[in-house]
Amino acid sequence: MTQKTPKSARAFADRRLPALLLMTPGGILLTAVTLVPLAVMIWMAFTDYNRRSLFTGAYDMVGFDNFIGILTNEEFWWSFIRTILFTAALVIGSLLIGVAISHLMTRLGSKMRILVTIVLVFTWAMPNVAASLVWNWLFQPGYGVFNWILTQLRVFGDMTNTDWGSNTGLAFTSIWLLVVWQAVPFLAMTIYAAETQVSPEYKEAARIDGASERRIYFNVTLPFLQPTILLVTILSVIWDFNVFNQIWLVSHGGPDGTTATLGVFTYITAFVSFDLGTGAALALITALLLAGLTSVYIRHLIRSGEDDL
Amino acid sequence: MSTNTATKTRRRKLGRPSPIANTIALVFCILWAFPIYWMVKTAFTKRSDALNATPQFFPTDPTLDNFHTALFQAGFFENLRSSVIVVAGAVAFAIVAGLFASAALSRFRFSGRRTILVIILLIQMIPGGATLIPQYFVFNATGLLGTYFGLILAYVSATLPFSIWMMRSFFLALPRELEEAAQLDGASTWQVLTKILFPLVLPGVLATSVFTFMNAWNDYLIAYTFMKDQSMYTLPVWLASFSSPITGTDVSGQMAASVLFSLPVVVLFTILQRKLVTGMTGGAVKG
Amino acid sequence: MRKIMRVAAFATAGVAALALAGCGSAGTGAASDDLPDSIPETVDAAGETLTVWIMQDDYNDATLDAMKTEFTERTGAEADVQIQQWDGIGTKLSTALGTSTPPDIVDIGNTQVAGYAANGALMDVTKYKDDLAQGNTWLSGLEDPATVDGTLYGIPGFAGNRAVIYNKTMWAAAGVNAAPTTWDELTSALDKVKAANTASDFSALYLPGQHFYVGLQFVWDHGGEIATQNDDGSWTSTASDNIEALGEWQKFQDTYSVASADTVFTDSPEQEQIFADGKAGAIIATNGSMATILAANPELTDADLGSFALPSQSGKGTQPVMLGGSDWGIAAKSDNQLLALIWAQIATSDKIQKDHVFGDQGLMPNSVEVGEQILPDVPAVKSGYFEAALTSRATPASPGWTDVESAGILKDMFSTIASGAATPEEAAATYDQKAAAYLK
Repeated sequence: MTQKTPKSARAFADRRLPALLLMTPGGILLTAVTLVPLAVMIWMAFTDYNRRSLFTGAYDMVGFDNFIGILTNEEFWWSFIRTILFTAALVIGSLLIGVAISHLMTRLGSKMRILVTIVLVFTWAMPNVAASLVWNWLFQPGYGVFNWILTQLRVFGDMTNTDWGSNTGLAFTSIWLLVVWQAVPFLAMTIYAAETQVSPEYKEAARIDGASERRIYFNVTLPFLQPTILLVTILSVIWDFNVFNQIWLVSHGGPDGTTATLGVFTYITAFVSFDLGTGAALALITALLLAGLTSVYIRHLIRSGEDDL
Repeated sequence: MSTNTATKTRRRKLGRPSPIANTIALVFCILWAFPIYWMVKTAFTKRSDALNATPQFFPTDPTLDNFHTALFQAGFFENLRSSVIVVAGAVAFAIVAGLFASAALSRFRFSGRRTILVIILLIQMIPGGATLIPQYFVFNATGLLGTYFGLILAYVSATLPFSIWMMRSFFLALPRELEEAAQLDGASTWQVLTKILFPLVLPGVLATSVFTFMNAWNDYLIAYTFMKDQSMYTLPVWLASFSSPITGTDVSGQMAASVLFSLPVVVLFTILQRKLVTGMTGGAVKG
Repeated sequence: MRKIMRVAAFATAGVAALALAGCGSAGTGAASDDLPDSIPETVDAAGETLTVWIMQDDYNDATLDAMKTEFTERTGAEADVQIQQWDGIGTKLSTALGTSTPPDIVDIGNTQVAGYAANGALMDVTKYKDDLAQGNTWLSGLEDPATVDGTLYGIPGFAGNRAVIYNKTMWAAAGVNAAPTTWDELTSALDKVKAANTASDFSALYLPGQHFYVGLQFVWDHGGEIATQNDDGSWTSTASDNIEALGEWQKFQDTYSVASADTVFTDSPEQEQIFADGKAGAIIATNGSMATILAANPELTDADLGSFALPSQSGKGTQPVMLGGSDWGIAAKSDNQLLALIWAQIATSDKIQKDHVFGDQGLMPNSVEVGEQILPDVPAVKSGYFEAALTSRATPASPGWTDVESAGILKDMFSTIASGAATPEEAAATYDQKAAAYLK
């Protein structure tokens, strides 16, 4: 009788050479192409590198001046708050709609479900650069069809000439719509795939006990979906926090920088004002902030799967 | 009997289809697909008809002119070739490097593993464009600027951390017993990896490839800044040429270009769609 | 494992040091020591390549071919011309000029060149000025921004300005048969056109609120400046001294333009398309826009169009127009500076200016003399442009002006005034405060 001991599994895991070899291609790539520029960027954050430095090579080490400058800059904190609020709005919005669509899909006939899937896939697949251009066209003052439709509905009065990009609230609304429009498909399809795995026996049992469909959903389905929802939420937080293309192409962070989330603010500092030292410091601060926000889940992620190793 | 049970089980799993649900779904589809419809409709509209105070929901005088201009007068094929080269290269490198690395980080034990994982996670938190300039100088010093290889590396670096994370969660879902059993059968480490582990995470590999693909297909800034020769630009740069502060924006031309730009991705997603979703959820549901 | 990490750390440090060395070196082009005192007629540089960057839409293929042919004749070298997009060009140009292998000669807008000149990106060409000017006097709007403290860093390429393009046929139908030459004639003409066309989306003169080129004209017309240079060389933003001019801008824009134009720029929606579709009786645009208009609506012909310079509100002459255009800049770190100088000399030669820049593309030549020479050949439909150019001004030659334009704060100021979101006093104060940070 062969003895199956856990030892053999651990022995496989303990093999050093294979692990090292496997890490090499990725390791070299990451080090050369990501970590080295990263080190340069970290170094830059402690200098006053700007456009002149690019051409003449002249710069000064300024210690923590950049960081202090950022942390005492009102604009930075406004951008930070904006980013948190906007990310929350994006995540909550896309999650709610995604969960709803997922549940909707479970109640559809197969033809309708295929149609919905097609619509979702097309929306998701569209590159966000093209989507942003389409959005600008839809919302264009004077000729955008969206403005025309809203005017016809007579809810907000004459919206024909509204320039969504030049009013903070409207710009955020338009960008929110754009991001959510393309984010929902991933959420809906992922959650739907999980929802199809809910054991029908539990649901049958609950139904026999007289529970309403609503109770069944909240007490049986949702708890089952929890790990999936948690995963896609974290992914959404990281992605939505760093949304850039859509904001830049729709409002350029305006008017007056009032739609500049941290990513856009960093871009403007580094590439428009060409204040590279401060831009680098901003990038670092942003990364640390995001890490802080998601730290609990990060720890969980790292620990999971480690238990049996 | 088996097919009947299968259908019935599926039906019970999903809940009864309801006409209300079907109606809501129809409304949803119309709303959600409207921007895409508008883009396509505008692409077929004559340039002189595009700007209209009363929008036309159906093109009264459809034309292929915009597509013709976009395809033949604007350098589409040249830039398409660049995009394909760069994207294929980025996906290939990302898969190989990512697959190996995530296997190492999830099926093996070595000191420093947790540190590496944390670093990889933290790298993802850095805003996209922040490393552009430092990367520019490193690439310039190593002669990689203006080359397809350099651009491929830039894209891989942007998506590798995420790829490693995703594939790792797939590996974690596989039971330890697999290696055990294989070893008992006398398999070498390499055989365990290639014949057992890798094939099982294929859905995850597919899913992460798609993200790398999208990232490389969609990027304007890095491609524009790093490449010197205009024949080596990628499609997003091509798309940008339809609008300029001097000549304005030809909306119908821009929409035709957007359709052409989106088409390959949409086709790819449609083909792979079911596998993609399985790929996304495989790790999540079990992990 | 730890040992490997340490080795990796050293490797990282090493590569980082290399990279920093690459970007930290001032890299004075060795070529500058070997350059002759004047530009030679021919040079033997067979097998070499000159890298030339051109902004999209600045020079057309025919012009570039002519330049390339003459360049190869004189030097035996090839010119590799690369067309650049506008979006992101600031970043791309700044990073490229900072490397040790920059493009040799670049075509930069005259409002951008000051920034690069003052920061050491471009080669000092002062001692070649006579060779390059070839006996002509350059337009000050092109030369001033390229000059820092008396040192010349750029070579004028061509000039462009804006004038009113109007729909002659539409105006005639409204009872206006001659182009206005005074402000009162202008307003009465526009009033008639407005009365004859009552559609809700029609503008007698479609003027986007962000069109700061036109806004600046009003400021200059009233004798003011948007920024002034102090005795110590620094610049002060003076928008707040021009409240009357800004108020006139607001009134003009409001009276003759639809509300949807208040907060947009000229490109989205495309003002040429709006004009071509008959929804505007006139627009203020560059003369290249005429070709765009004719392309946008094949039913329009040259006979339907006309141009005139915006009359001055003071009653005499025309409003000073902003001189746009571009300059050539030679990279300070280029290895082919002599070849670049020859290219620049060709690009600014009378022949290229007359036959191609003006003849082929209809742009304004870079010098007063050539400008006068071509005046008789200016087609009637474009006469307004050349007339306007006689009274032209340039944007402030401050190196910080590039950043002011990129940040879009000037556009913001004019559009908030146009839409009424802020009074001229408020908008000017906001603008001055922000511009101060850039202009220093």
